Amino acid sequence: MNTTSNSYVMTFAVGMCVTVSTVLALLANGLRETQQAAAEFDRQKNVMMAAGLIQAGDARTREELEKVFEEKVTEVTVDVESGAVVADAEDAGAKRKEDPRRYRVVGTARTEKGEVTVLPVSGKGLWSTIYGYLALESDNDHVRGITFYKHGETPGLGGEVENPQWTAQWVGKSIRRDNGIGVIVKKGKVDEGVPKEKAHYVDGLAGATITSNGVTSFVERDLKAFEAYLSKN
Amino acid sequence: MTATATPETEKAPLFGDDEKRVVIDPLWDNNPIATQMLGICSALAVTTRLDVSIVMGISVICVMAMANVVISLLRNMIPSKIRIIVQLVVVSGAVIIVDQVLRAYAFDLAKQLGVFISLIITNCIVMGRLEAFAMGNGPWRSLLDGIANGLGYAWIICVVGAVREIFGSGKLLGVQVIPDAMYEAGYVNNGLMVLAPGAFLLLGVIVWVQRAIMGKVEE
Repeated sequence: MNTTSNSYVMTFAVGMCVTVSTVLALLANGLRETQQAAAEFDRQKNVMMAAGLIQAGDARTREELEKVFEEKVTEVTVDVESGAVVADAEDAGAKRKEDPRRYRVVGTARTEKGEVTVLPVSGKGLWSTIYGYLALESDNDHVRGITFYKHGETPGLGGEVENPQWTAQWVGKSIRRDNGIGVIVKKGKVDEGVPKEKAHYVDGLAGATITSNGVTSFVERDLKAFEAYLSKN
Repeated sequence: MTATATPETEKAPLFGDDEKRVVIDPLWDNNPIATQMLGICSALAVTTRLDVSIVMGISVICVMAMANVVISLLRNMIPSKIRIIVQLVVVSGAVIIVDQVLRAYAFDLAKQLGVFISLIITNCIVMGRLEAFAMGNGPWRSLLDGIANGLGYAWIICVVGAVREIFGSGKLLGVQVIPDAMYEAGYVNNGLMVLAPGAFLLLGVIVWVQRAIMGKVEE
């Protein structure tokens, strides 16, 4: 066989690509359900982590944690414009698909300190959409916890949004500022001596100003969106 | 790059001296990280904890075994004009397989390894072995070579990972190994170990020790 002729090279290249892509497509299809289940479990874990029900790196098995979620967390679909809960579960799914920014899933977690609202927050960082959960204490003012579980930011820079040491700073911050709502990710370090900063600011992510600003703005936007729901509860 | 290629003989035993050398060489004498200085980037990036290092090591072993065997089977059919691209396609395919499987069955670890699994594609060890070994040897030997080079990579990053986890966070595989009494007595975790420069220093020490034992001098 003449393996140097152009036609052979072309045939080989095409054959190679088709074979490899078929194998990968079959594999991806076969694993899709398991992957979705794993991603959903990861999401549930993050809801629980934001609410302070579990710690990161909890040693319990998946079944046990799923049981905790089932027992302690209730998720409902909320119409953010009116702040009302969509009662019909099937209807809620369809509505969420139609207008995901208007109909959003909000969790309520029963913790030792009363009911905690877990709000989904998401928005643009530098490269990607960042997804997370922000849990508010029952006074609807102080942050109980925040987690970011899905993003495509640069590892080591913007990717540090998921660093537990950084997210730990959010705990106890107040979202009700004099001139608005939300927690501000400062550029640089928070000055603990300034009362305003101590109450509402967290340290910026070094080398990731755009990610930090993104987090500030989407947290503010989402909290604003949930105002109607929060004031009803 | 030194290839341990020898011409194939028809009646060679399944696991003779040649095969033994193929397996043992990359573990010590010709270790891809310590001797050939390949794959350093991922060795620095993923070794903050032992469990992550182990998964990364296993992933690299799987990718290298798969890619080596496939390329070895195709070695007489691959047009030499596009052989690098063909190798890349095979490596990428193998990496995606590993990535998809990890995402389904070890989601947390897959998330932590993140982009570094995909970056196995650019790990010079993989391409290097394909070009230097699999293109000229049969599938059985290529399989051994792939696994052995993967192991050579894996054991080094596991050592680095273990040391960094013990001194950086006082744990091993997530279990605390440094007793609380030590912390009360004023012991502090070494922050440098959690950062990339800590891995760099450690890797340097490993290379030094390994070369001192081998008596190798850079020519």
